Amino acid sequence: MIDSATRTTATRTAATSRAANVRRRGRNGAPALLIAPFFVLFTATMLVPIGYAVYLSLFTERRSGLGFGEPETVLTGLANYGRALTDPAYRDGYLTIAQYCLLYIPVMIGLSLAVALLLDSVLARAKRFLQLALFLPHAVPGIIAALVWTYLYTPGISPVLDALNSAGAQLDVLGHPLPAVVNMAVWEWTGYNMIIFFAALQAVPREVLEAAVVDGAGALRTAFSIKIPLIKASIVMVGLFTVIGSLQLFTEPMILRGASPGVTSTWTPNMYAYTAAFERNDYGLAAAASVLLALAAALLSFIVTRATRARSERRTEAAR
Amino acid sequence: MSTPRTSGRRALRPTAALTASALSITLLAACGSNGGSDAAPASDGRPVTITFWGWAKGTKEVVDAFNASHKDVQVTFEQIPSGVAGGYAKISDASKAGNAPDVFNVEYAALPDFVSQGAVQDITKLVSADLKAKYLPQAVELTTLAKSQWALPLDAAPQALFYRKDLFDKAGITAAPKTWDEYRADAQKLKAANPNTRIGTFFPDDPSTFEALSWQAGAQWFTGQQDTWSVDIAGTRTKGVTDYWQQLVADDLVRVQPSFSQQWTASLQKGETAGYLGAAWGGGVLKSTLASTPDASGKWAVAPIPSWDGKPASGMLGGSVFAVSKNSKKAKAAVEFATWATTTPEGIQARIASGTSSLFPADPELIPAAKAAFNTDFYGGQDIYSVFVDSSKSIRQGWTWGPTMGVTNNAMKDAFGKLGQGGTIQSAVDAAQQGTVAELKNRGLKVAQ
Repeated sequence: MIDSATRTTATRTAATSRAANVRRRGRNGAPALLIAPFFVLFTATMLVPIGYAVYLSLFTERRSGLGFGEPETVLTGLANYGRALTDPAYRDGYLTIAQYCLLYIPVMIGLSLAVALLLDSVLARAKRFLQLALFLPHAVPGIIAALVWTYLYTPGISPVLDALNSAGAQLDVLGHPLPAVVNMAVWEWTGYNMIIFFAALQAVPREVLEAAVVDGAGALRTAFSIKIPLIKASIVMVGLFTVIGSLQLFTEPMILRGASPGVTSTWTPNMYAYTAAFERNDYGLAAAASVLLALAAALLSFIVTRATRARSERRTEAAR
Repeated sequence: MSTPRTSGRRALRPTAALTASALSITLLAACGSNGGSDAAPASDGRPVTITFWGWAKGTKEVVDAFNASHKDVQVTFEQIPSGVAGGYAKISDASKAGNAPDVFNVEYAALPDFVSQGAVQDITKLVSADLKAKYLPQAVELTTLAKSQWALPLDAAPQALFYRKDLFDKAGITAAPKTWDEYRADAQKLKAANPNTRIGTFFPDDPSTFEALSWQAGAQWFTGQQDTWSVDIAGTRTKGVTDYWQQLVADDLVRVQPSFSQQWTASLQKGETAGYLGAAWGGGVLKSTLASTPDASGKWAVAPIPSWDGKPASGMLGGSVFAVSKNSKKAKAAVEFATWATTTPEGIQARIASGTSSLFPADPELIPAAKAAFNTDFYGGQDIYSVFVDSSKSIRQGWTWGPTMGVTNNAMKDAFGKLGQGGTIQSAVDAAQQGTVAELKNRGLKVAQ
């Protein structure tokens, strides 16, 4: 009894869902076809390499005798992950990133916000030109920017340091790689994020600003009490994107390393993976370090998505 | 870097950031695939074409001369960055990916590491006893690992002191220092004569000079017996070198600057650095580095490297070999080219006549050819090769490079980098010792400490 009843229900459910599937397939055929190239590329260039990296991370090369024979690849399970996590150099890489974020994010966001607010204020002239000019550093490839800055940091060559020197100020930039890298990043990204803030400011309803003026608020008061709170969502988003992006820190310190030995070969997690693979030839360790870094980034972006979604849902409800 | 462009302004999906972070993985995995190797050499009279990677000065000229004089083998040369500047990474990537060149240059120090990675082909059967007998015994010793011949030596690299004669004269120094005590005293004199002048440079980015100095002092960092490695990086002989240089750095008698960097070049150009502790090949490098500097020519001189007891002693600083890659099917042609480049007067002349190389051939018979080809105007006409010959005779025998020099050098380099911020040379030596032992064990090798 019970059995047959369950079966009938199951059959009916299956039939219904099959019919729905057919209907859905008919309606979704074209989009699926259009999306397919993306998924093919995504699989070939992202999923497969990630899978291969996970695979690589499970193996270690072992040798025998004095080590000059044929190396043997041995399955070592999660041992490479253990080695990466217990290596102080790898953990220090994350510490560097943390210090970098603490210095970089307030400075960069503060600057780009200030510039965006200035551009948005009535005082600004030649807005188009200034926007373009400020955005320009971002158009310079990171490697080129790093090379130019390294040149500017090098005593004996840099015109800036020479000028400071003759003015009596000794500045040892290469001895302090963290601020040196932060400065490069600020130069490169302030303009980009300024554009985001400026666009958000453009969307602030003019009547609200007019009301503020009618109520007697000055430019500063308007900026702090009206504009900034209204574009808070953009500021938070830029901040979180920047944290995730900072995990990838690689190009600038890698270039700076040639002039500043203070940048170690494992200065950031990405550099750790690079060094493990290409200088130590330990592909298993490099793969494990990369997978761990990817996991850290995935975790962070998950938190970001949750946080931003929760906020937008709250806002929608409030609007209702 | 920073904000990932891909995720820009749209709603963020977790995949976006994952995608960005996967870039490093993609890069890594791209280097791991196995490509096919070249087909077997043609036997129908057409020339065998081999590919060759190297960076030593004058290499292109050698290849051109070889191609012009050979019909059976033709070489396609690709210039790569020097080993520490990324060349080694390029070679091992290519080797992993299965598209390594047929033949490539590596330094003696890096050879065991490449052999251990399985990137190098055993060429014992292609190297006759006659050919082997042509090279300096020290060079043969360093290219023989586990009783097999792995490479042909290009140059021996006896150490030498390059110095600005005019600045030494001005400081009242009449002869180049013979001992390390004199070197220190001269450093003080130079600084006293001009507070901006230093006698030399400690290179924090490349431990090879420090290694050669330890070798010169009689240290033996690696000993391989049967199937067990002994690692003695932090031994007493090295300690003497460590303490000496630590004192020079602490007393601000030498500069701490990366080797061959813009800073280093600038300070040489301005006369703020009056000396360079290099090797024979450094003569050509120094000359070409300062080629565009007015008035530099004729002011430099070469002297044997100072020693601890005043008796001549030298290590080897750098020096390159020709190695055939594991998967090359043209090993015979590769060895033919390498033999020509390392043992014929034409081969050495082509290199030296480029004007940028002053390397010291590992085949002593070629020294007259090298000497004749090198223009010594930059050194005021000094017979610099006779200095190198004396120095080469004093190269200490018995030094062995370990199979983990990539790790050893990195550990040392990273700690040297902290010299400005309270780090010490001793801590770098200790880090290298520990890092090396750990890596040997990680590779499954036996270590006796």
